[in-house]
Order: sequence, then structure tokens, then C-alpha cells
Amino acid sequence: MRTRLHKAIGASGVAAAVAVLLMPPAVSAQTVPKTSWSEKTPWGEPDLQGIWTVETDTPLQRAPKYGAREFFTDAEREALDQERAALLRRDKRVERGTELDVAGAYNALFMSMKRTGARTSMIVDPPNGRLPPLTPEAQKSVAAERQYRLALLQATETCKTKNPVGCPGGTYDPTPSPLRAEPPPRYNTGRINRHDGPEDGSLSDRCLSLGLPEFGTAYGGSFRRIVQTPGGISIFYDVGQGQGWQRNIVMDARPHLPASIRQWYGDSRGRYEGNALVIDVTNFSQKTDFQGARENLHLIERWTRTGPDTLEYAVTVDDPTVWTRPWTAKLEFMRQSNEQNRIYYEPRCVEGNYGHPALMLGARIEELAYVEGRGPHPATKDNATDFVGVEEDPFQ
Amino acid sequence: MRDRFALSMLTVAVAAASVGAFISASITGSSGQGPIARPATVAGKPNFSGIWQANNEANWDLQAHAARPAAVTQEGVYPYDYARVPAAPVLALGAAGAVPGSLGVVQGDGQIPYKPEALAKKKENADHWIDRDPELKCYLPGIPRAMYMPHPFQITQSTNKIHMAYSFSNTARTIHLDKVEGPPDDAWMGHSVGRWEGDMLVVDVSHFNDRAWFDRAGNYHSDALKLTERFTLRSPDVILYDVTIEDPNVFTRPWRIAMPIYRRVEPNMQLLEFRCNEFAEEFMYGHLRKQPLVKRWEGETMTIDITRKIPPGDQFYQWYSR
Amino acid sequence: MRDRFSLLVATLAMATVVVGAMSVTQLSAQGPVLKTPWGEPDLQGIWTDESDTPLQRSPRFANQEFYTEAQRAELDRDRAALLRRDRRVERGTELDVAGAYNAVFTSQKRTGARTSLIIDPPNGRIPAMTPEAQQRAAADRDFRLALLQSTDTCKNKSVACAGGKYDPTPSPKRAEPPPRYNTVRINRHDGPEDGALPDRCLTLGLPEFGAATGSFRRIVQTPGGISIFYDVGQGQGWQRNIVMDGRPHLPASVRQWYGDSRGRWEGDTLVIDVTNFSPKTDYQGSRENLHLIERWTRTGPNALEYVVTIEDLTVWTRPWTVKQDFTRQSDQDNRLYNEPRCIEGNYGHPGLIRGARMEELAYAEGRGPHPATKDNATDFVGVEDDPLQ
Repeated sequence: MRTRLHKAIGASGVAAAVAVLLMPPAVSAQTVPKTSWSEKTPWGEPDLQGIWTVETDTPLQRAPKYGAREFFTDAEREALDQERAALLRRDKRVERGTELDVAGAYNALFMSMKRTGARTSMIVDPPNGRLPPLTPEAQKSVAAERQYRLALLQATETCKTKNPVGCPGGTYDPTPSPLRAEPPPRYNTGRINRHDGPEDGSLSDRCLSLGLPEFGTAYGGSFRRIVQTPGGISIFYDVGQGQGWQRNIVMDARPHLPASIRQWYGDSRGRYEGNALVIDVTNFSQKTDFQGARENLHLIERWTRTGPDTLEYAVTVDDPTVWTRPWTAKLEFMRQSNEQNRIYYEPRCVEGNYGHPALMLGARIEELAYVEGRGPHPATKDNATDFVGVEEDPFQ
Repeated sequence: MRDRFALSMLTVAVAAASVGAFISASITGSSGQGPIARPATVAGKPNFSGIWQANNEANWDLQAHAARPAAVTQEGVYPYDYARVPAAPVLALGAAGAVPGSLGVVQGDGQIPYKPEALAKKKENADHWIDRDPELKCYLPGIPRAMYMPHPFQITQSTNKIHMAYSFSNTARTIHLDKVEGPPDDAWMGHSVGRWEGDMLVVDVSHFNDRAWFDRAGNYHSDALKLTERFTLRSPDVILYDVTIEDPNVFTRPWRIAMPIYRRVEPNMQLLEFRCNEFAEEFMYGHLRKQPLVKRWEGETMTIDITRKIPPGDQFYQWYSR
Repeated sequence: MRDRFSLLVATLAMATVVVGAMSVTQLSAQGPVLKTPWGEPDLQGIWTDESDTPLQRSPRFANQEFYTEAQRAELDRDRAALLRRDRRVERGTELDVAGAYNAVFTSQKRTGARTSLIIDPPNGRIPAMTPEAQQRAAADRDFRLALLQSTDTCKNKSVACAGGKYDPTPSPKRAEPPPRYNTVRINRHDGPEDGALPDRCLTLGLPEFGAATGSFRRIVQTPGGISIFYDVGQGQGWQRNIVMDGRPHLPASVRQWYGDSRGRWEGDTLVIDVTNFSPKTDYQGSRENLHLIERWTRTGPNALEYVVTIEDLTVWTRPWTVKQDFTRQSDQDNRLYNEPRCIEGNYGHPGLIRGARMEELAYAEGRGPHPATKDNATDFVGVEDDPLQ
């Protein structure tokens, strides 16, 4: 009799232990999204696991005609869908042999289009859905870079024909600019009309691009897989065309890396606040560039489950040397099927990077042709402008 | 006697309850509490989560070997194998360019069972290490090489997925413990599907391409490569890592490598980036510059002059994909 | 219950006492055997040979294993006289410089009790070489003498040119590599490989019997492990990491300068088997096939007996055995300088190579003799008389 009682007590002790493990902790009194959804891992943390992507297209900034309106009407969405689809289906032929003609190949055969999203912009703050004004220093930086870039194009057809995409605000001058012999005003991250060496390439061409914050691109989608373990979280990104990366979030509450250590993807420190995962990211490298922000970029992300297959991602972006105030963007992720496993995490950009060396080799060939009197001065060739998809944008 | 046993069981149960409550609270509690308690199990399975690094010479050469002057050598004043000297690309590194000796990680008789023509290709690989080892181009290292490179990696173990994030470049893989469709294409890192056999994690890796090497000694495989990895926690801070390697195009039979992998137990350990494709740019593209950039180095006892050249025709592109 | 417990305690106590007694009072032929706290024979300490004994027995002592006291005293006198002598010869010659190595530089230990370190074969001398080994030795010697044939050393029929002849025409061998991997000083310095292993800081190793400039070894033990550091010669020390786990030797493909040492205890003796030597080592002509079996036995509070059997059937027609008696040195005085910083101060080796380049230039410019007539190899120190031989 006594033995059976002891066994029962023992069993209930174990059961109590199990019950405690499964019990959710008290929800904190902090901000909880209205559509909060509480799902826990077996060890009791908010469960953010899965493959997440945005299944609709939303511009970063709101077209001014929408004012302070956060959401499209259904009719507006329909209209935008049709306009965008028509653009993509169009056979954009122009004069054969021109760069514009080649760019026209990027129609629906290559690009896909997602349905227009419900929001008028990813940016939810400032209330006009647009990036805040740049600081005076940032404006100067931007201006200096634009001037440099245009100088390298000034002798090309692009500027001669005043192409609004390739030479906005630039002037034509048949004499090649002396800036062609000078380095850029600061570490170059964009495509410029010169390929003297690898550093003249854009970060994308060098397989050094993309990073945080990640809002998706038109080329190849934007997927992230989250895997959790007690006290740890790991996120793998599959973005663009094979430019994925990993985020190893440090969850031990220790301070950020020393200021002398800079990283391409910054330093991510995470903690749970109620149901939300909050990640603070600093220590970016001077070689990264997000809309002009470099080493002073600071992100505060909030990842919150809002439903069985939805996750809200909100990020406040802050760089007082670039923007006059912080701004916040929101994305709604949809969970993708684990079984279909449509995330191709193999960031094999450099392994197949023929474009980058080809641009340089091409420049060397053009130089040789010119020297031998077989070709035009290289400064008159536009080997920089990306004409794809930039002419009309119904979103703007 | 039996009473005391039942009493001890009760005590244990109560203790378990309090411990369980403690773990639950510490994980979901507020910030600022310091290092996270790493439970020994995740949903009943041994917990491999954490930051790890192999501590051996496998990345130099899987097989047992005495120390040697460099990864690439040339004949010395003697024709003997044991009297070679470092080749020009690594000469300036002196002893820092030498290859340490190793007892090897190949099990059984220590031999890699190459088919005869495949062995010739391995030797050719080794002789052309500078032009062909994908590591020098910062290409993805593949599996198993990523597991024993001299760079730490982080394991995040959940119930249906395990992430392994390697600090070398952006190398990573997801081990699927649940049912998934296969990958759309062959991959440098393969496709990893795992299962538990008791306390051992067994992972089948397939769908490899033929691009990665096993080490710096030219050991390689074809796209028929298949691996069976076995992970066991020998102790909380040591993984025993065992791999059966099969590739009927290259080897006459399956063979195994095995090694311990150690936890990086420093209290503030985290992975730092090693984004080497930037570091490798001069190596990869320097020959395409308008003006050569890295040309000459003057030391006190040697001057190194570097001349670059552009391979002709299609060889230009082939160099990137060999 | 309590009775059973106390009986157990009593038994354990008695067993401890018995074991303790055994470890302290066990007698061997040499006296009490000292143990480490964990019960292995204790070989720890700094050990050296405090006397001078030749490797091989002088033929005049035939099968006599020990000197008489009178013989020892006479040898001491002869050797001291040699060292004190001011050996000047014609100024500016290599022989005159060599004469500087007298008692101001070199020290002398008392002549030891034994007539030779070799105790087997019974004549105290290295056994005969195999025919192949003799051929190899002859080829090496011919090469070395050919490189000297145009020098004064051979012209003057110095002992350093024994077996050679003088020829004013430089030998064509000066343009050839040595017959096999070179380990000794040759009269050419085209590159580092022409240097002797000592000049390249690649010398010394096993077996180690001592040199004129000292030979110390410190033994440190741990349960199941043993480590020996050597301080030998002039900063040419090394470490031995004895593998004690009973596993077989390294694979034959892995060769090492100091071989592969595998140790085990046989009673109170540490037995170490050493194989896997590199083809670049050379001990009296023996290279990669050298095989040593060492026996280290503590024979007293300050005495350790070292016995090694040396075997290489490609070189000697039979194995041979050496015995050496070490005396313990004071741990507190710590007269062991284990910092093998040979290469860090190696000015001699590059000096020889540079000097050869300068002589070549001088000759090419008509300012100096043909380099082949200069002897930049012979070490004249102590070559001429040795009372112990």
C-alpha cells in the first residue's frame, strides 16, 4: 500500500515537472501586437521556426499620391496588378544592338511578379510612408557620388541621349572626365562606368552585397529559414540569385562586439520580450551600404508570430549621420511548406561569378581595341547602367 | 529498504519538478541574466547546440603524414621525396607555410582507396594546388571539409531541423529531420537528411556536385558522392564525428574518416565573419586590372616580383570552374 | 552491519600497510627501489654522466672492462696535459686557429671507470660493418676527399686527408650532388644542404651518449606518462615524448628525426623501443633502419643505469650494446639549460655559405685563389691526439 502511494507521488512529481515545462510564462505587459499569436517550442520559447517569405509585392516607399494612407483599396490593388502585369508582358524591343534592347529581355520570361500587397508601403513611420530627409552631410555624400558616377558617363550615348534612367541630371561632354583616373569619393558600392579592377565593381557584382535589413528584391525572392534551440536561434537567408547568408544571433545578453570589430552583417544581439524576438544590430562595416547608411547603421528588429502561418517583421532603422530621424518598416511573412523545402540555401555567388571578371576583361579588350585603332574610346561606352525595369514603376 | 527507495524516487521527482520550473523560467525570463543554460537534451535527444571546432590537421591532408616543408614544394638539390623545398608561392612564409604532421583521420589501413586513374588526378590536384584548391578562391568547402576547417561553426538544434552555420565564408547547411522534397539541383554542400538512432545523430548527405575537395592535399570526389555522418556526444564538450564516404566513380570501396570535434568553451564565444571572397579578389581578378596592383615585395633577403597573366580563350573562364 | 564495516576497514588498513611496506623495503640487487607517489619506478631528475668514457675500447685494453685506478690516474694526467698545452703553429693557418680549443674553452671530466661505453661485443668495439654499409661509407669518404684533394690539408698529408691524395686539379665531383643525403661537413658550401647536420641545427638525437660540451637529460613523470628533455652540446636540445599506451609504432610511411619512442615498464625498468627514423638522420652510418631498445633503471638514490641495444642489420653485422651510468644533478641548482636555441644564433652556417660566395667572387676577379684549394671543412680541433683511443 505504502509503495503504491510513493509511486503515485513520484509519478505526479514527474507530471508536475512536465506541466511546468509546458506552461507558457506570464505575458509581459509590454506592446503586444493586436493579432498576437502564442505558439511555443517544446522548451517554452516563442516559436518562430519555419521558412518565411513575403508573398506580395510592396514598395519600400509610398507614392506621394496616397498621402498618409497605409493600405490600398481592393480596387487599387487590382488596378496595380493589371498595370504591372502588362509592363512585364510587353515586348520591349528598341533599336537592335543597343543596351536598351538587351535590357528589354527582362520581361515576364525572366521576372516573376507577386500580387500587389495590401500596404501602400513597407515604411509605416514616418506617417507619410517615405524615408525621412537626409542630413546635410548625407546629402553632400550622395551628391558627390552621383557627380562622380555621372562624370564617368558623360561621354557616352546614355548621356548624349539624356536617358532619364542612366544619366539623370547629367550633362553630355565628349571629352572623357579626368575623374576617370581618380578613385571614388568614398568606398564604392554601386556600379560605375569603369572596370579598372575588382573594387570598381558594385558590391553585387563582387558577391559582397545584400545583408541587413533585408526587404526582398525583384530578382529571385527573399526567403529566410528560422531554426531555434533552447537559448539559441539561427536564421539562414536565401535572397536574390544565390546571395544567401547566415545570421548567428547572440542570445546571451552580453554587450555588442567592441567598436573596433566591424562586420558585413553587423552584430546581432537578441532577446525575447514576451512573444516577440527583439534583435539589436550594430557594428556594421564601412563597406556595407543601405540606402546610404554604412557603419553607423543601427537596426532594432521585432519578430512576432501573428497567426498559424504568419509572422510580422518590424524593423526600426536608425543612422543619425544619414537620416534626420529613425524610420520603421513592417513586413508580413507567410510560412512556406517545410516539406516542399523551397529554400535553396547555397550562397554560391562567387563560384559562378563570370560576370565580374568578364566586365574587367571586356574593359581590357576595349582598351586594346582603342589603342590599336579598332574601337572607340572606352569612355564613350556605357558599361554600367542597368536598364532593366527602371523606366516605369507603377508603384511610384 | 523499499521504503527508502520510494522516498528517494519521490525526492527525485520533486527535484525534477523544481529543476524543470527553473529551466523554463530561466529561458523565457527577462534579459540580462548572463549565459544561457544549455540543457543536455532537446525534446529527449542529446543537444548538439553550440559552437564547435575541430582541432587537427585534417584540412591539410586527411592521411597520416610526417610534417613537410609546404603545401606546394619543388625538388631540392636531391631527387629524394624527403628533401624537397617550398615552392615559390609559399617560400616567403618560411616555417609558417609548412604542413604539420598528422596521425591522419582515415580509418582502417589509413589509405584512401582511389581507382588508379583517380589517384593520378589526386596527385595532379596536389601539384596544382594554387590554381585548383577551391579553398583559395573562397568557394564553398562542401561536406565533410566544412566540419574540420580551422574555423569555428555553430549548431542550432531544433526538433525537426538542425542548422550548421560555418564561419568560413557564408557556408551553411540545414539538416532535415522531417520529410522534405529533394533539392532542385546538385549543390556544393549537398542535401542533408538526418535521423536519430538512439543517442546518435545519423545524417545522409547526397546531391553533391563535383567541385569541392576533401582537404588541401588534392583529395576530391565526383558528383556521385554520398556520405553517412554519425554524430555522438562523447561528453558535453566533445562530439565524435564519423563519416562513411562512398563514390563509385572515384573510389573502389567506401572508406571512413573519424575525429573528435571540440566545443569552444570560452564564455563569450560567438562566430565572427570570415567573408573571404573579398580577401581573395586580388588572387581571383588581379590579373584583370588595368594597372597591376600587387606586383612586388621587398624583404631583406628576398624580393618577390609577381607577373600576372590572362589565360587564353575559354581557359579564362575554366580557371574559375575547375 | 557495523561489525562487517569495521572488518572491511581493518582489512583495507592492513593491506595499505603491507603495500606501503613493500614499496619501501623491497630489495633489488642494487638497493631500494624508489617509487613515484602513484607507484611507478621513479626515474625523475636531471641526469648526466659525470665522467668521460670512450664509446669504443682502445685495442690495447682488449677485453678489459674496467681501468685500474692507476690507469685512470695516468689517463687523467695525459688528457689534462693535452688540454693545457698551448698548441701554436704557423700563424694564419687553420691548424693555428684550431689550437685555440684548449683548456680555456674545453673542460675535462674525470676518466670514467669503464674502458668503453660498449659492453657488447665483448671487445668493446662497434661490430663489423656489412659489405653494403662499407661501400656506402667508402663512397661518402671518396666524395669528401675528392672535395679536399686540391687543398693544403691533402698536400701536407694531414690526418684529415687520411685515405686521400693531393691533386692540384679540382675534382669534377665539385659539380655533383653527394652519393646520398649529406650529413657531414664537406668542402663545399653551394647551399644549405652542403652543410653538416650540426651546422644546420639538424643534428643530435638518439642514441645520445654525450659530447665534449655536456649532455643532460631531465625526466619528468606523470601517472602513465613520461617526458624527457635533453640539453646537449651547444644548445642543441630536444624533447622526447614517450608513448606509453601499448599501441604499435607509427606507420612505416611516417619517419621522424628522433624516431618513434614506445615505452613500457618491465618490473622496475623502463624499456623504450625506438624505430621510424628518418633517412636524413645518421648515427655512425645508420639511417632509417636504426632500431634502439633502451633500458632505464634506477640503481640508487643518485644513480641511474642506461643501457641501449643498437641494431641495424643493413649497417652492422650484429647488434651492439652500450651501458652508461648517470649521476643525479641537483634539482635546485637546475643546471640544465633546455632552450634549444641553435638556429636563433646560427651565424656559422650562413657565414660558411656567404664566405664561399665571396671566395668565388674574389677568384673571378683575380683577387684570390681557386676556392677548391681552400679547406673550409676540416675541424682540426682534437683530431690529432686522443689518449683515450
